[in-house]
Amino acid sequence: MNEILLSQEVIVYLFSETLLYGLLFVAFLVTVGLIKQWNFDTFTSKQFTLENRSYLVTIILFFVFILKIILLPYFIYTIDNLSNIVPGAMCGAGVIQANVYGYPLLALKIIILFLATLWLTINRLDVKAKNYPYFKIKSWFFIVIFLFLSVEYLLDIRYFTQIDTRNPVTCCSIIFGQTGGSNGLPFHLDIPKLLILFYLFFLLQILTILTKRVLLSLVSSIGFAVVAYYAVVYFFGTYIYQLPTHQCPFCMLQDHYYYVGYLIWGLLLLGLFVTINHAMMQIFFKQNSTKYEKTALIRLSLFVLLCSLYVVVYYLKNGVFL
Amino acid sequence: MSIIVIENVSKVYHEGTSHAFEALKSINLKIEKSQTVILSGVSGSGKSTLLSLIAALDKPSTGKIIVAGEAISKLPDLHASKYRAKTIGVIFQHFNLLESLSVEENVMAPLIHSRLSMTDIKEKVQHSMKLASIEHKATQEVKALSGGEKQRCAIARALVHDPEIMLCDEPTANLDKTNTLKFIEILRTLHSMGKTIIVATHDPLFESLDFVTHVIHMEDGKCDE
Amino acid sequence: MQNSTFLYFLTRLLFKQKSKHIGAVLISILIIFLLSAVLFISTSLQSTLMQTLKNQADFTVTRLKAGYPTQTPLEWIDKISELNGVSAVAPRVYGQYFFTPREKSFLIIGVDFFEEQNAQILKEIIGNLELKPFLSEDSMLVGEGVKIFLNAHYFKKYFTFKTPQGKFKKVHIHKMLAQESNLIANDMILMPLKLAQEILGMEEEEITDIAFNVPNDAEWDNIISKLHLMFYDVRVVEKREVQKAYENLYNYKGGLFLVLYLITIVTFMLILYQRYTMVYSTERKEIGILRAIGWSINDVLKLKFYENIVIVVVSFVLGVVLAYGYVFILDAPLLSQIFLGAANLENSVVFIPSIPFGLLGSIFLFYAVPFLAAVLIPAWKIAVTSPKEAML
Repeated sequence: MNEILLSQEVIVYLFSETLLYGLLFVAFLVTVGLIKQWNFDTFTSKQFTLENRSYLVTIILFFVFILKIILLPYFIYTIDNLSNIVPGAMCGAGVIQANVYGYPLLALKIIILFLATLWLTINRLDVKAKNYPYFKIKSWFFIVIFLFLSVEYLLDIRYFTQIDTRNPVTCCSIIFGQTGGSNGLPFHLDIPKLLILFYLFFLLQILTILTKRVLLSLVSSIGFAVVAYYAVVYFFGTYIYQLPTHQCPFCMLQDHYYYVGYLIWGLLLLGLFVTINHAMMQIFFKQNSTKYEKTALIRLSLFVLLCSLYVVVYYLKNGVFL
Repeated sequence: MSIIVIENVSKVYHEGTSHAFEALKSINLKIEKSQTVILSGVSGSGKSTLLSLIAALDKPSTGKIIVAGEAISKLPDLHASKYRAKTIGVIFQHFNLLESLSVEENVMAPLIHSRLSMTDIKEKVQHSMKLASIEHKATQEVKALSGGEKQRCAIARALVHDPEIMLCDEPTANLDKTNTLKFIEILRTLHSMGKTIIVATHDPLFESLDFVTHVIHMEDGKCDE
Repeated sequence: MQNSTFLYFLTRLLFKQKSKHIGAVLISILIIFLLSAVLFISTSLQSTLMQTLKNQADFTVTRLKAGYPTQTPLEWIDKISELNGVSAVAPRVYGQYFFTPREKSFLIIGVDFFEEQNAQILKEIIGNLELKPFLSEDSMLVGEGVKIFLNAHYFKKYFTFKTPQGKFKKVHIHKMLAQESNLIANDMILMPLKLAQEILGMEEEEITDIAFNVPNDAEWDNIISKLHLMFYDVRVVEKREVQKAYENLYNYKGGLFLVLYLITIVTFMLILYQRYTMVYSTERKEIGILRAIGWSINDVLKLKFYENIVIVVVSFVLGVVLAYGYVFILDAPLLSQIFLGAANLENSVVFIPSIPFGLLGSIFLFYAVPFLAAVLIPAWKIAVTSPKEAML
């Protein structure tokens, strides 16, 4: 455990997370005070102080959000580096599997980023209006996000302190691959069916965004997210690594693949965030925005394009598919 | 249609404590567009408080203030500052300029967060400095200016975004006779441009000016209208 | 458009108020400089060592006696060569020679100059050596530290070794090894294998250890078990374990350093917080004025945010650039001794620039996050200043 905790990246990462959590705790305390005493209709100087304090919560959450966006790839980079010390690990996939906390932690981080985007959007709406109509909603929402953040912080610590450097972990070829003869895909899908689903869902996404069918676009986003994950790991990834048996979501984040993994996962996540965010805003707050629609479309299209490009280029270079 | 409507406005400082102080008591006032109004009274009579409420720099304890059709008494900060940046130009007694910057940079300051381009801003700044007769000192640092020049810089800054309403709080208290007269001439120009002007002052010179619409006497937080 | 006017205004403001921030900037540069220099040195050393290690043989086999390494019999080489999958089996002779009066020691390495060296690093160090003049008489190649040391003791052209058997052996100093190899070769002496055996008091059939490669890494575990079956008293060292050990060591050392440095950073944070909370009345007045003329709290926060980002970025860049120059151009006088100090002989190392991008990211995060976190609340406090109160 010591070697993990004394690794430079882990120290920087945990130190940053601790500082951010400290700030968030301050924001939490302020929010609790705000919920108790907020009354927009009074003219007291107390109320004006409360309005000023709400700015503190906003600025803290904004700062933390920006840093969490930076810390997510840094977290991946940290685990990737740890693969040098953890026996058996050749990339981040092995390290994140080192204990039960790894995957939940990663998933939680992504969820938190999404919730934070949602909060910031609601906050913008609230401040734009002249009487803070969503104040209570957004404050309670922040409390919920804070709970998630607390769990994340605990998981951070548990995860890094529980990585065993004596027992070897399994490498991605066994986790994801078919070396054991197992098929990693769900619902007994095979690659061709998966690809059809992938492109179909993508088309569905475009249609639902363009025709402004909000609820449908929300559902298709989730579907697309799941299908895209499997498609990238089990199909497109193999073209990035140019090896049909190398199926891994993490290796493409390394430098010998030109860090393309960050681009691929980044575009997918961003596109999905914007779509779901936009859908939520429409459903709950009746806010429409063509800008969001455009951004979502561009990002998702770029994602699909990039993935498909690897296949096409490979075929053009070698004349066959893998 | 009155451009400024003040209904039953009171302002109490430190309310709920032992040293609560009622600066304004039930003020009712209407000011029409393009009028030049003088608020006269000794210091402590509530003139500055009233001006700061109209400028949305502070909020009243009770009552309503409507400026150009918009209720400004309860505006949250984002909207209050937009209102100030669009509708109000303020000139203070102590000038309140950014000493370390130049005249030009001070005059530019209100426009920084507007969505204008640099060229548009520079044009407005030039125009404003000319109106205030301070364009010859554009690049000079404010701390090297004389009192009269500082006041003219403040005027230029207050005019740069072409506000409808000009609020002046004891504008000539720190000026000598010559500069006071120069200031009055600029006020006259502003009046001829159709701006609504409110001047809070205890200088009796203002009450007898020809372009002044009417004078409101304030005493002890109450006004005589 | 909107942003360029804002940036212009920000630049003018920062420029005019530079005395306000100069303290924070200078301390920041110092902190980043120290941190970067240490990490650069450590990373550079680590990468050089790893490079060296890469070129080493996959396996080293030594004989043990009562658990301690001892001379290895030459005949083991044939037995090992017979194993499947093994290649480039070579004997190695090396040991420490104590220059007793001063208790300094040299590392003597015996090299068979005709055989294929499985240690590439020796190839690099030996380089273009003209074998004939070298082998015509007893000669050796010495590292820089050795040369300087011998010169100081008036051994300019040769040195007389005393063998454990009591004989004297005069050896001619042929050439000095390249300075770039100082990290490993500083106190090294390379000489023909037989000469080394003589000086270290070994018999002809005795060598220090045996090195060999196993190209197929799937075979490694296999080979290890076979070796243990072949010889009861053997110690097998695998390169990958050495690599992991070095990795761990550097991790450990680097991490330890960072933990200690944390104290510096936290102190810095407290100072910053104090400094920026102690809002001088001039700054309060300025913010009050800006708010009075139409700036919202958000606008002021934006100004403060960018102000601090500029300070962070400028300090970071200057600190890193200074550290780079100090370590890779000036070869880190003073600091390098902390790393290489307690060395046998005085070592002057040339650092090879090798900065992984992630390292810069780590340094930036380690500095920027605490800095911005410390000034966040003071910045907010000043942004919500009531314009009226500020201007009084």
